Amino acid sequence: MKKTLEVLLLDDEPIVGRRLKPALDKIGCHVEVFENPKQAVARINEKEFDIVVTDIRMEEMDGIQVLEHVQAKWPRTKVILITGYAKMDLARDAMGKGVFDFIAKPFRPDDLRQIILNAAAALGFAPNGLNVTEKTGGKTSVKS
Amino acid sequence: MGILEKLKRRSATESGIRDFCIQTIRFKKFLENARSLLDCFEDGREKFFGEYIFDRHYVVSVIDRVVEQLGMMVYDASVLAPESGEALFAAYDKHKLAAENLIASNGLDMNNRHSNSAAAISDRDDPEYRLLSDALRWFNGKGASDAPADQPTVMDFMKQVFFAVMAALDGPDNAAKQAVIENRGTFAAGKDLYVIDLWKDAHALPKTNRAVSDVRSVPFRHLLMDTGGEKGDAGQHSLKACAWVAAISDDQLSLSTLNPASRFRLETLASGYESSDFIFVFADRSVNLDVLLPEGFHVENSESGRFAWNLDVSAKIIGDSLMVIGRNLFG
Repeated sequence: MKKTLEVLLLDDEPIVGRRLKPALDKIGCHVEVFENPKQAVARINEKEFDIVVTDIRMEEMDGIQVLEHVQAKWPRTKVILITGYAKMDLARDAMGKGVFDFIAKPFRPDDLRQIILNAAAALGFAPNGLNVTEKTGGKTSVKS
Repeated sequence: MGILEKLKRRSATESGIRDFCIQTIRFKKFLENARSLLDCFEDGREKFFGEYIFDRHYVVSVIDRVVEQLGMMVYDASVLAPESGEALFAAYDKHKLAAENLIASNGLDMNNRHSNSAAAISDRDDPEYRLLSDALRWFNGKGASDAPADQPTVMDFMKQVFFAVMAALDGPDNAAKQAVIENRGTFAAGKDLYVIDLWKDAHALPKTNRAVSDVRSVPFRHLLMDTGGEKGDAGQHSLKACAWVAAISDDQLSLSTLNPASRFRLETLASGYESSDFIFVFADRSVNLDVLLPEGFHVENSESGRFAWNLDVSAKIIGDSLMVIGRNLFG
């Protein structure tokens, strides 16, 4: 049976979840969206996600804390951080903690989709497990 | 005239030429700040229409950058046109206030203000998109809706600032420009063209008339390339009878008329770095830019004249454009 890529998306700016969920649904991901970091962490405690995409700057809990929590609970899960600013100190901190990749706002949905596909490949998902075309030139591209 | 009088007069001319060089260099800085403002507009527009994911922080940062760059532009203008400084700073304060109100509104009241155009933004109903749309309308009246801006735009104010600067630089009262005419050493004999080397003449004035063929400036050479290296008859347009001054460095050219009745100014940087090179032209209403300029320029109209610019251009495009302009002006 084909396994669906489970993605948790966390950003306290509602626009991010609203815009990204349809874009990730389109490539066959199952996406759960959260705006509250504590609720997201509670959900992470219940379920092993393949990929967690989280903003770095949030009010109640920052993205680095979410990263640490995910890694303690589910070491296999890939974490992608969204940065609103060029916060090099936070980025360096996250690199040392094993974040899979960064994406800086503003970005296009396609930019994140590509990182998700890279993370999926690192997890051993075959390209045809997602709604994607075959690899071309070493890159996996999204079906239009 | 006694020796003392001659020395005094020469000293005043040298000081005037120095002022002219400083004005020209400062004007280039002024244009760079204007360009940064246009880049802010373009960045916001690209994010809005390019389906980007952005948040409120991004929109606020663009608005803040516009306010900051506008302030730098107004500061430059107050140096170049001190008599306009007070009025420009007062208008700038109003724009700062408009920016604060925009940020405070958080894009929440746009539907109330522009209910007729709600359909046009139905797929962009997030507050962040509305805030950016409002910001774009404040920048240059071009947001998601076609409704006219209900307050002066930043672009309107930029034009006002430009006119104040142009009036000071190219007006009859500019003593620095008068000093150029008084110093015959900068005159390119028989061509109604004064050539000022921005970095050399400020230190020591040339003692003999300048030969155009000796000028090493790349954009200047391109400008005159198709005119046989000399300034000839200026054709049928209103600039025909004008004398000109060209302030030059290796990669910069600032060309303007010495006749306040027909104002034309061309500024260009041709350094070979596309991201910083540009051509900027201002002409009053007596000059038909449609005839003078090649295609590819962005043109803004106003009551007192027209601005045209071409940014991020390759050395080849700059060279080709200058040859066309030179041919149309002097050919």
